[in-house]
Amino acid sequence: MLGFQNQKNVCKIICMMGVTILTQFPTGNRTGPETVEVLSKRILALGAAQQGQFLVDCDTYTSIPQLGPQRTVHVLHNSEQPATVFSLLESGNKTIPLAADGLFDLLMMKMSSFYTPKKQTKAESKGLRYEIGDFCVKLGTVTVSSNFKGILVEVEYRPCVVPAMCWDLLKEFLQGLLGQSAPGNLPAYLQNRVQEIYSPIDTIHQYLEHFTLFRKSPGGMGLRTQ
Amino acid sequence: MSYSVDISVEAPIENQIQEITYDGTEIYQPPLTISESLAKYAQKIDFSRVSDVDVKKEESNEDSKSDADSKDAFQSSLWPWDGVRNKLRSALQEVCVLADVLAIAKEKRYLVLDPVQQEPLETKPMVQIYARKKALAGNYICNSLTFLKLCIVGAANVLLAGAEKLKTSQNEAARNRTTMDFHIELLRLRQNWRLKKVSNTIIGDLSYRTAGSKYLQTGTFEVTKAEEEEKSSSPPSSPLPGGPAPVKPNSALRVSIPSELQGVAYIEVLCQKDQEDLCSANINLLGSGPPATNPDMHWQQKLEAAQNVLFCKELFNQLAKEAVQLQAPIPHMVVGNQIMATVLPGIQLIIGLCHSTTGDKKQQNPAPSKSDHDHVLEHSLHQLLREVHHKNTHIPFPHPATGPLGPSKKRMIAGPMAADRYELLEMTKTETLLEQIVKQAQHFIMRMRTEYVLDTIAKEIRDPLISSHWNTLNSPTQSCVKINISTHGYDAVCRTPLVIHVGEKSLKCICRDGKVMNMSYEPQELRDLIMCHINQHQILAVQALAKTMGWQALGNSNHLGTGSVEPLGNASSCLLSSPTGDRIIAVRCEPQAGTQVSVAHSPRSDFFPSRLVTERKWEHLGGQFRDVRLDKMEGRNFLHKMELLMASLTSNS
Repeated sequence: MLGFQNQKNVCKIICMMGVTILTQFPTGNRTGPETVEVLSKRILALGAAQQGQFLVDCDTYTSIPQLGPQRTVHVLHNSEQPATVFSLLESGNKTIPLAADGLFDLLMMKMSSFYTPKKQTKAESKGLRYEIGDFCVKLGTVTVSSNFKGILVEVEYRPCVVPAMCWDLLKEFLQGLLGQSAPGNLPAYLQNRVQEIYSPIDTIHQYLEHFTLFRKSPGGMGLRTQ
Repeated sequence: MSYSVDISVEAPIENQIQEITYDGTEIYQPPLTISESLAKYAQKIDFSRVSDVDVKKEESNEDSKSDADSKDAFQSSLWPWDGVRNKLRSALQEVCVLADVLAIAKEKRYLVLDPVQQEPLETKPMVQIYARKKALAGNYICNSLTFLKLCIVGAANVLLAGAEKLKTSQNEAARNRTTMDFHIELLRLRQNWRLKKVSNTIIGDLSYRTAGSKYLQTGTFEVTKAEEEEKSSSPPSSPLPGGPAPVKPNSALRVSIPSELQGVAYIEVLCQKDQEDLCSANINLLGSGPPATNPDMHWQQKLEAAQNVLFCKELFNQLAKEAVQLQAPIPHMVVGNQIMATVLPGIQLIIGLCHSTTGDKKQQNPAPSKSDHDHVLEHSLHQLLREVHHKNTHIPFPHPATGPLGPSKKRMIAGPMAADRYELLEMTKTETLLEQIVKQAQHFIMRMRTEYVLDTIAKEIRDPLISSHWNTLNSPTQSCVKINISTHGYDAVCRTPLVIHVGEKSLKCICRDGKVMNMSYEPQELRDLIMCHINQHQILAVQALAKTMGWQALGNSNHLGTGSVEPLGNASSCLLSSPTGDRIIAVRCEPQAGTQVSVAHSPRSDFFPSRLVTERKWEHLGGQFRDVRLDKMEGRNFLHKMELLMASLTSNS
């Protein structure tokens, strides 16, 4: 009104992570790189700017039989939180999340006699990272032990921390970007936690769910990314 | 007096036995300390012996005198009161001496009277009680009683005389002790300063290195014993006539400080705008003005002054280093003893190191006439370096004991707290001293400008009242002011609150409706914003007032598209109609032109149809608006005038 720049109110407090939705994008009859190309064209057409790359990886360890009922530890790294190592321990039907610093990797190496790494199960999603306004979009190519498995699209809405409050907005954004293949409902993991404050470990949970699905999928698409 | 008993004073060869245990081992009392044994021996001294001799001498004198009297009656007849006179004179002398001693002791500078344990005196009442008991025992010992009384009086006199002697001897000892003992002085020095012995010399260190400083310059000083002759000759050779007279006890200790640390130093902070001082701060550790560089200064003050010089030098050195290294859009300049940094366009921050080595150069220093001496900037400069020192000494412990040393606590919990890359990037940023002081200076100027704008607006504009409340709690780079726009007498009707956050280079205003306005450092922007809010306040207040008067607000617009174009902002307006709907008031507020009020009248209650207006309903369309000349109206302020206007229009209908 007065010609003042009504700038976006930049939050001085260190921002918590915004709400993130992870969804799979079907490749159809295209190859992986082609699909990523299509999506990146779409997002750039919306006015996004590319901001570096990202990588989420997951290693899985299983306990040796002497320790009793088998337990599985998934160790995940997210380049968005470079100083953190996430781990999810599955014992029975419980999942115990843990966020630790980089030394946790060394600890797992020390425990290799109790928790042995599963061969051929290293899953990772890597690709380019785009920023568009308050949204952050990551187009990831998923590989399980370097076999191409599919495309994961991560969309983060940074100003909000409660999923229930921004799900509609995210849904609309996803529909605009992904069209028909956009999810109609919140991811299963978030449905029980819509009113809770979103934290980085929730993103990790979503990634693990998708990685587990990709591992089970028969033989992937048979396409090597490299 | 002749009944005194000789006491031999000798120390027991071995300590007294305190206890003998069942197995026969003897537990000895611990040996007395020197002062305890001195006190013990002092109690045992028989003063009557000494005075006895005196008395005897006197007696013998008297005897001889009486002999002389008998022999030479002529002389005695000449001086019948000779003895009395002599005694009076000696008494006078003693009283004079006592008066002198008391006068000196009162000053407490040369002589201190310590209470002396006078246990022997306590025996006196016991003896008296004993004597009384004896007296009660019977009359037949009457003779012995008088005899005892005499004895007691004599003993008391002897004791009093002895005590008096002790006192005088102690006083004399104290008088001789005007120059303090070198070792006692050294002990005191050692309590406050770091000392070490290197071969035959005593070297001290006054640097801040133990407190975390990494400044390379050493702050060593040497401690020597002051020479007697030098001391006696130095007061007359002292070049300062106005200096303190040599009444202080001369110190037996002398500290020699390296020449580069001598004198007085302070850091001067100036905010300059086109050669005009906006503010200045002098930092000086000692707080008081520059102390005199007297060669006879006490070592404590001397060392403190030297330490201050070192501190100022370190601070300036650090700032100068940063000024050269920093890549500022307008490069910082370091010229001689001055650092120049541009804070805001046209405003420079000048930090200067002033160091005067001798007392003669003191006049060159800027006189303490600058009354706008800013304590905040002074204190923060001081604090910033202390903080650096503190950080150097307080390194956080590594989290696993084998972990790396160095990362802050915040960085350590960054992993488990899942900090994202922005947070981690934030953590790697460190601000230099100069950046911090520049930011503080920027904020200082922003605050001053905001204050000035608010004060001038409040002074210029009387009709809504503008009051501003500054928060007492603020940080060196952020403060907050709350502005209330209200009309006198109508505070309850309408009030427009604004909150302005004053930052380092920008202002953030949170308006009544929750809008956030970001402004730059230009004060005009703030002024414009407040002017706009004054207009909005007037329109809102008129509507709120209309509601209480039973009038109806037909419509309002904060950004009117019609009328002349305003140089800043837009005009705002509202339309009000009377309870019966036959009168309409239009108010238009413009930031520059002020307020215009117009009134439209519906026609009279009686209606005569004409050829043009056939039906009565068309009359309700309202007539032409006519301007109200507000300045001719009665009323204290705009709202009061509007209230009167509305009241008069309501009563007419």
